[in-house]
Amino acid sequence: MFDIDWVGLSVPFAYIAVLVGSLITFSSVYRKRKAAKSATLAPWFPPHLQRNIYLSLLHDEPAEGQEKVPKVPDSLLRAALLRRAVEDINRIIQIRSAKQACSTLLQRGSVGDDLWQRFQRAEKEMEEELRDVVMEANALANNWGQSIFQSANEIAANTVFRKRLDEIQAQTESEKQWWEKRRNSIKNEFLKEIESEALSAPPKTQTSKVSSDDDAILVDSPVVNDKGSIRKKKGKK
Amino acid sequence: MEELETFTQLPIRMDPTSKAVSSTSSSRALTEELATLNQLHKALLTLESPVPPPPVPVNQKRSAQITKLRESGNGEFRKGKHQDAIRYYGLGLQMALSRPLWEPSGLVRDEVAGLYANRAQAHMALQNWVEGSVDAEASVEAKKAGNAKAWWRKGKCLMEMGRLEEAKDWVGRGLEMEGNEADLVGLQKEITEKMKKA
Repeated sequence: MFDIDWVGLSVPFAYIAVLVGSLITFSSVYRKRKAAKSATLAPWFPPHLQRNIYLSLLHDEPAEGQEKVPKVPDSLLRAALLRRAVEDINRIIQIRSAKQACSTLLQRGSVGDDLWQRFQRAEKEMEEELRDVVMEANALANNWGQSIFQSANEIAANTVFRKRLDEIQAQTESEKQWWEKRRNSIKNEFLKEIESEALSAPPKTQTSKVSSDDDAILVDSPVVNDKGSIRKKKGKK
Repeated sequence: MEELETFTQLPIRMDPTSKAVSSTSSSRALTEELATLNQLHKALLTLESPVPPPPVPVNQKRSAQITKLRESGNGEFRKGKHQDAIRYYGLGLQMALSRPLWEPSGLVRDEVAGLYANRAQAHMALQNWVEGSVDAEASVEAKKAGNAKAWWRKGKCLMEMGRLEEAKDWVGRGLEMEGNEADLVGLQKEITEKMKKA
């Protein structure tokens, strides 16, 4: 009764085996290709200089000819790690501000899938980087991992703010020179006006008209200059 | 970023005595970064704790000194000694801006905004319109909202220098920030009148 027809049954089994096998091969090849492709995509950020400095200091190896290198003090390593954290903060800010724009552009199809993949990779790498920094911080000082990014955040904000202030204060010299020139020209015009009035006192109405024309020209030309300076300032921001 | 397991070994060396890091490469970015690093390292060495303290509990000593300098400046200003007032405010600014970088930036902004605004006022009393305008702009940069005085002062300075277009622009932006502040509205009227005359 249970006489199984092994030969007949092997046909469907073989069919299933071939099907599953081909699916597996396809999926593995596809994934490998995708991984290779995303690995060759250009990275989102340029090389992390601060990270390289920190790790170079940490793994300082004697150069050829030298027998040993002086030991790098922990304080220097802490400073280097803090610099690395500051750069990470800058990168996080960049990622956060780019995320919204990036996903909107992707939805509209304005940018390719490549860009999105690069972005996501950068995001993932950033997470790893943060974890790594916290670990290093805890290794260098007790519980520093909790506060290193707070400090780094303030450092980043303070640096930007101070740079802006320096830029504003640096304008003083050129503005002063401009104002000096302008004041002198106003003075000269004023003197001329008085002189011309003194010379031709009787026909008063005419001269005053002429001088007012002069005035208009005088006021006009600096205004044109000002517009230029406004644009420059805006460009800086 | 490069892969997480690897890094690029940079051609940097540490001086064994001064502990300063220098590089043999000619890359400008690297040299600058190393200069910042050395500076930070020095700043860290002056601390009692091995790492910078978290930003929140602030060292009150410096805040007190800054407040004192501002008060002295205000006192001199009231006495009419504007030059001295400017000096005091300048010292206060130096004090505030030399706060270690890891201290709260919001606090620095607050202090600096007040000092710059006051110094602008002192400059204006001496008819130094250029300095007044620059200081007022710095104050606004430090604190954009709730700083109507500084907005007004820069507008006034620009007007005094005859830069009416700029002044109008500036006061317009100030009004956007501050709502309808009476002083700013007044100044705007004054500027428009002057523009009509010119």
